[in-house]
Amino acid sequence: MKEKEAYIDYEPHQLMLYVEKDDGTFGPIITGSYLSKNYIDDFFEKMEKLRLSLLQQLKDNKISPVEYYRVIHDFNIFELSRRTEISLFKVRRHLLVKGFLKAKVSDLIKYAEVFDVPVSNLFQVITVESRDSETKDGVKDENKYKVKQTKTQSPLLVITKFESNK
Amino acid sequence: MIIESFKHNMAAHCESGTLTALLNHKGLTISEPMIFGMGSGLYFGYLRHTPNLNFPMFILRTKPGKLRKKVAKRIGIKFKSETYRSTEKAEKELDALIAKGIPVAVQVDLYYMEYIPEWERVHANIHFITIVGREDDYYIVSDSYFPKLAKLHKDNLQKARFAKGYLAPKGFMYYIDSIPETFDQKKIIIKAIKETVNNMIGIQPPFIGIRGMRMFGKKVVEWPKITRDIDHLSHEIMKINIFLEDQGTGGAGFRYMYATFLRQAAQLFNSSDLDGLSKKMMEIGDGWRKISYFAAKIGKNRDLGSDKLLELSQLILERADTEELFYKEMKVIVNQLN
Repeated sequence: MKEKEAYIDYEPHQLMLYVEKDDGTFGPIITGSYLSKNYIDDFFEKMEKLRLSLLQQLKDNKISPVEYYRVIHDFNIFELSRRTEISLFKVRRHLLVKGFLKAKVSDLIKYAEVFDVPVSNLFQVITVESRDSETKDGVKDENKYKVKQTKTQSPLLVITKFESNK
Repeated sequence: MIIESFKHNMAAHCESGTLTALLNHKGLTISEPMIFGMGSGLYFGYLRHTPNLNFPMFILRTKPGKLRKKVAKRIGIKFKSETYRSTEKAEKELDALIAKGIPVAVQVDLYYMEYIPEWERVHANIHFITIVGREDDYYIVSDSYFPKLAKLHKDNLQKARFAKGYLAPKGFMYYIDSIPETFDQKKIIIKAIKETVNNMIGIQPPFIGIRGMRMFGKKVVEWPKITRDIDHLSHEIMKINIFLEDQGTGGAGFRYMYATFLRQAAQLFNSSDLDGLSKKMMEIGDGWRKISYFAAKIGKNRDLGSDKLLELSQLILERADTEELFYKEMKVIVNQLN
């Protein structure tokens, strides 16, 4: 690829590309990501749609919180079982609402750790008004709020603070 | 403290970039493409039935860790490497090395690299970074995928080094102990090219090398059957672009970087044949880039009917045919090198 064809102006996502330079030599240039520059909105839109669809299933009691986060993090059950060190048999059960109700607290702590959320978030969704049922575009004031969750020494307790973005 | 003498540079690929940076720091001037080529990094595989995968994927380079081991063995580099059970011991030993001024490469789960934009951060236990300092609770990190030195909280580094799952790092770290004063670079290049030829057109399982490319080309038209909905299909199709371009390949699934390796090898051997191969590899890369752009476009437009997937399939199969001829030619040329 020729150097001038390769260059993409996109500062948030830089990468290195090997190209044929103007003098005919081959070497590296730092450029922007083509995909991020042109299609990042599409990625966010898809993720938001997926999140809302899973949230609806969660609200309708059709899936468990473990299944919700599993899909968001794109783990299959083998990987989730390995990462949490919970048996495959149990993980399969915990994906279902009925099975999740029988999960031990120690298992929930392991899931929360892998999903990188406080364990309390397996039982709640913290959001702003109208966020649950509308698309991202429909929430005009979302940037007004900032939610900060701080873990404590207790694996079960998290401090959730609402702050206004000024 | 920070190891001031360490020079941070972006690199195309995390494993070869980290290794190159450590070697350069130790005094061996060598380029990333040369490391990649000498480690026979170029590869292709189409993975369908791997238990840890949610969806079929293709790989474009050898198994993580293999490149480093090959380069070390061929050049004669001595590494000190360690895995850990205890997170405390891992942190303590890392700190001690940094205090001695030794940059240390660690294997991590990319997801916890907080300085990288959120949309790039996926769970992948095969990322390599170099730790070059510590300031209070933060490590100073040289990451090939980030333009400058970054800060990473010690808790996140610990999580990243001890993430479980497929190819779990288990706290793995390494640093360079010694580098030989001389080595026969020409001999290594010949050996490395021969291995790459074997990986691509030698006797391999049907999902590896050129046969793997053909399998990928044939199977991609069946992807609608294994996706949840059109958005999921679009996401997986657009990931073709990510694997080829964004996930540390130097563009076109490592083909551009390999072309650069061949160019450097051509200069070393003063071989016009190798130079010709480097140009051909650059063109092969352009073909892969066409595929990645095409995949991104049809994915974005949700234009994922059977005609478009067939077109995508044809483009991949064409690459397989072109690459097969290329490696056959490379096999003949490498046997004539001395």
